[in-house]
Amino acid sequence: MPADTELMPEMQYATLAQQGETAQFGMWVFLTQETIFFGALIFTYFLYRTTYPHEFAAAAKDAVLWCGTLNFVILVTSSLTMVLAINAAAQDVRPNRMVRWLIMTVVLGCLFLVVKGYEYYLDFQDKVVPVVAFEVKPGEGSAGVLFWVFYWVATGLHAIHLTIGIGLVLYMLLWRIRRGEISPAYYAPLEVVGIYWSFVDTVWLFLYPCIYLVGRS
Amino acid sequence: MSTTTFGGVPADEPTAATEPSYLTSENTIASWLFTRDHKRIALLFFASVTFFFFVGGAAATLMRLNLAAPEGLLQPAVYNRMFTMHGIIMVWFFLIPSIPTTFGNFFIPMMIGARDLAFPRVNLLSWYVFNLSGLVVLFSLIMGGADTGWTFYVPLSTVYANGYVLAAALAVFINGFSSIMTALNFVVTIHKMRAPGMTWMRLPLFVWGIYAVSVVMLTATPVLAMDTFLLAVERFIGIGLFDVRHGADAILWQHMFWFYSHPAVYIMILPSMGVASEIIPVYARRPIFGYAGMTIALMSIAILSFFVWAHHMFVAGISIYSGVFFSLMTFFVAVPSAIKVFNWTVSLHKGRISFDAPMLYALGFVLLFTLGGVTGLMLATLAVDVDLHGTYFVIAHFHYIMVGATVSAFFGALHYWWPKMTGRLYPEMWARSAAILMYVGFNLTFFPQFVLGYLGMPRRSYTYPPEWQSWNLLSSAGASILAIAYLLPLLYLGWSIFWGRKAGPNPWRASGLEWATPSPPPKHNFEETPVVALGPYSYDPENDTFIDQEGVLHAR
Amino acid sequence: MTIGPEIDARRAGAFPFVVAWIVILLTAGISAWTAFLGLGVWAPVIQFGIALFQTSLLFVLFMRLKGAPSLKWVCAVSGFFWLLFLYGLSMTDYANRQGWPPTQAAGRSQLESHQDDR
Repeated sequence: MPADTELMPEMQYATLAQQGETAQFGMWVFLTQETIFFGALIFTYFLYRTTYPHEFAAAAKDAVLWCGTLNFVILVTSSLTMVLAINAAAQDVRPNRMVRWLIMTVVLGCLFLVVKGYEYYLDFQDKVVPVVAFEVKPGEGSAGVLFWVFYWVATGLHAIHLTIGIGLVLYMLLWRIRRGEISPAYYAPLEVVGIYWSFVDTVWLFLYPCIYLVGRS
Repeated sequence: MSTTTFGGVPADEPTAATEPSYLTSENTIASWLFTRDHKRIALLFFASVTFFFFVGGAAATLMRLNLAAPEGLLQPAVYNRMFTMHGIIMVWFFLIPSIPTTFGNFFIPMMIGARDLAFPRVNLLSWYVFNLSGLVVLFSLIMGGADTGWTFYVPLSTVYANGYVLAAALAVFINGFSSIMTALNFVVTIHKMRAPGMTWMRLPLFVWGIYAVSVVMLTATPVLAMDTFLLAVERFIGIGLFDVRHGADAILWQHMFWFYSHPAVYIMILPSMGVASEIIPVYARRPIFGYAGMTIALMSIAILSFFVWAHHMFVAGISIYSGVFFSLMTFFVAVPSAIKVFNWTVSLHKGRISFDAPMLYALGFVLLFTLGGVTGLMLATLAVDVDLHGTYFVIAHFHYIMVGATVSAFFGALHYWWPKMTGRLYPEMWARSAAILMYVGFNLTFFPQFVLGYLGMPRRSYTYPPEWQSWNLLSSAGASILAIAYLLPLLYLGWSIFWGRKAGPNPWRASGLEWATPSPPPKHNFEETPVVALGPYSYDPENDTFIDQEGVLHAR
Repeated sequence: MTIGPEIDARRAGAFPFVVAWIVILLTAGISAWTAFLGLGVWAPVIQFGIALFQTSLLFVLFMRLKGAPSLKWVCAVSGFFWLLFLYGLSMTDYANRQGWPPTQAAGRSQLESHQDDR
């Protein structure tokens, strides 16, 4: 649909504004559910870390702090680029600025996955992969492996969510924006993706101290 | 004055619709499989949940046949898989989705004056994900099933069980997404898409019930999702976060499981409560008593349901102080439920009651729910639970609520809204007979199980000492009557689709917005957005009139 | 419940977001630094407190809760609120249970012998 044709709301909505508001609210409701999903996982971490503080501290020494920190920076920066893309969507008639920031976001997201992949490679070398390549380190006892099960499940699920986020941004770029459906008149779909993206960042805000800041002293 | 003649409900002349109904507007298979119309999706869900109801029912039939005599019928290992699959399928593939995905999908938009839900494509996706999880669970069943019980306790499910536990757990995990999508749609729709004048306190109680259930689904299901995911990981790789060999806690599985599954039982009952609150005013021709109290009760039940889960774990090895706390909270959660029972009962006072099939189901619902509820209080008592946990008393308790109450309400809703959904009237005498037969069969099946539990018969056991046979035989006999009562509606409702009398827009003279449309409704529900002036249930039994929600008085 | 006027994307500059970005990075640095200070049990308290603060910045600014109607705030907070139920009520068990934590030696010898039962 060319950009100058008026975009109509779906048949169950009275106005485009109502449709956009409702879509955003829907994403927030979804994120409530996601908070509880990751929160339940972090509960297991909370329980076992408070029960086995020394074992966790010993096991977590092998967590690769520079990878975790670099990924933290990458992800927060991608939240910034995403927000700047949304500003551009709301302000510019031409999509160029928005597209540039969105491409930046995708690049940063993929960079996160690359760093994570490299970190996983280092983890194999350090033998902290339960069952597959695992060595009990001094001081970690038999409970230390619980830290590493949490690590693989948490970072794996986070990476899956991030990949979905990258997919959504690509969908925006290659489908909706290319067809001219995102403009200052209606950019709610991009806002919805942006909210999801920042939430994936939020999860990392909590995983970072869980994984990388244990037992460093 | 009750309507008594065979198919003889006085119906208005069917109005000439200005557009074709949602059933006939397009007729290709693709138009059904790729529909975005909430009404068609409701029927798609109806087909799926009915299918699974009969699969779960088949497992139950085999179980009751086995239990008719101590010698049994099935191999013990097969019996174990039967009760596991019966539980999994009935809970996640029938009870949890049934009323929300069928009547919720069909009627929430209509009751609030909207043309569809907020996210129609998400609605359709929910159905596909539901069927995907159904395929996985059928795969598990056909390959031999799991034998861990529907509760999948670790370490049995992660380490020791043989069978298709991983597939069953994954089926439950995927099913959760379907629940979440449906619930999200309802919450957003009810918040954002009400017609002008439809304030929260003018919403029909069915909408409140669906709203409450959606909040519970959204906040409880993610914990189950994480729990089943961790179970699958542990079973698959051999080590995990419930692994006692590494200092983890096997009971943590139970905490996270019941954090979901206790609210889940309220997920199963809240929509039924909404249905009862819809049916009783119509057939008593009186407003519901204490509308505000009913809404507060619904939301209180939803929230309080999160504080009681460990009453399933009193003898699992949790701290006794924790047990005391959860026991106390369980007594509290009974209070709003009891308030609702009082209100339904008082709603009948000085009414002009007719005992049509939906009303019979609704009254049966109230009675069976009450009995199930008070036996729940018995189980909430710590000292009593020590003896009753794991016995048939528990089974009888939850079947009174899940089958006696929820399934009754499902059938009540089905009959009540049948004319609106299909444009046909069902044969009243057949329906009443089926309702009464179901009530008798149900009590005969499950009341003896209270006695058996009291006598000490453990659950999940393929055999029992011979002195208990007479009670078991009674229960199995009741089950055969119940089976007939469930099959009858298939027959006469099916018949009515082709040969039933055509229904007008409002055969029951009900006041909700959904009755202001033709039967069956057109694809877009309303020609123009309704403007709401009144709350629901403005019935006057004295003059036998009612005022619909747009403010129009309907005289006899 | 809102914090001041809504951020109107049509007029917003990059400045508030860049500032928030810098604050999040700086506080993350502080958080990482506390890990090396030997603060014992207080380190995670500070670190998760900082994480909560950073989350609030992300929610309020980047996810535009600032100036949004209360309903979105309720949604944003509900997830965390519900987790209080899970954490708090589960801890009524773990904080008081006699068999928790299991003694390492007893736990292992009793159950490792079951490893061959599979």
